[in-house]
Amino acid sequence: MINYKEIKSEELRKEAEELKDKYFLFSIIVVDRINEGKFELNYLFENKENADLINLKTFILRNDPKIDSISDIFPAADYEEREAYDMFGIIFTGHKNLKRILLPEDWPFGYPLRKDFVINDEIRNWTGTDLRW
Amino acid sequence: MKEITFEDFSKLEGGFLLTKAKELAHWLIKKGRSKSLWPLTFATSCCGIEMMSFGASKTDPDRAGILFIADSPRYADAIFVSGTITKKMANRLLVLYNQMPNPKYVIAVGACTISGGLYHHSYSVLLGIDKILPVDVYIHGCPPRPEQFLEAGLKLQELIKNDKIERYKGYI
Repeated sequence: MINYKEIKSEELRKEAEELKDKYFLFSIIVVDRINEGKFELNYLFENKENADLINLKTFILRNDPKIDSISDIFPAADYEEREAYDMFGIIFTGHKNLKRILLPEDWPFGYPLRKDFVINDEIRNWTGTDLRW
Repeated sequence: MKEITFEDFSKLEGGFLLTKAKELAHWLIKKGRSKSLWPLTFATSCCGIEMMSFGASKTDPDRAGILFIADSPRYADAIFVSGTITKKMANRLLVLYNQMPNPKYVIAVGACTISGGLYHHSYSVLLGIDKILPVDVYIHGCPPRPEQFLEAGLKLQELIKNDKIERYKGYI
């Protein structure tokens, strides 16, 4: 069973504190709502006892994508937030190690899962700086 | 130097052969090097499964002198790059290549390592490992059959024996 709950982005840490004892973080799903100028963030939590899911849904502005990190409450959020930063460029304030996780460390072309990201030949032929035997 | 086969020896009735000691040494070393090729297994996706099959008894690369016993790049002579190489993995692949002792040979396995393959239009996949490494033999297929691995190994041995690899011309 999934319970949906829409919250404001400022309330996320407070809600997460309440879920801390009985739930664990399942996943963070980001959706690019480009027409509304927003990012939709879905924090999925699963109950440790009966496997019920809770979906905390929140929206943040697309031109100022900032939200509080919950990686100190749920350590599993560490990599999830890094991936969201890597693919969508969302800044999680309070995260201790917010850097690229799946793409190369010196990747210069922005955030590939945003809807306005265009794959061109320059990106496809890029191999990294001085990467030659 | 002309290669001497067993038949040439059997035709000889006594007599003697003249050669320079250096050339004899070169010939022996190249022959020996080609017949004990220790590949480093570098597998990132489905081509790696075919490489495991290649190492098993049905194709049996051991009889050709291709021995899958190099656990470390420090022992390896060749590298089978099997599977999709992403732009992040390219850096790690280059580190492994630089750890191998000279002479070292590269075999590109499958469509992904040759050109990007299925992911040719993706942002994250390297468009062929020949952008970062000197490739000696390409194996086509998605994924290739184990027999094609064996043929590539034999082809590489032939190239080594005949000194056809440009960057190791005259290398001892």
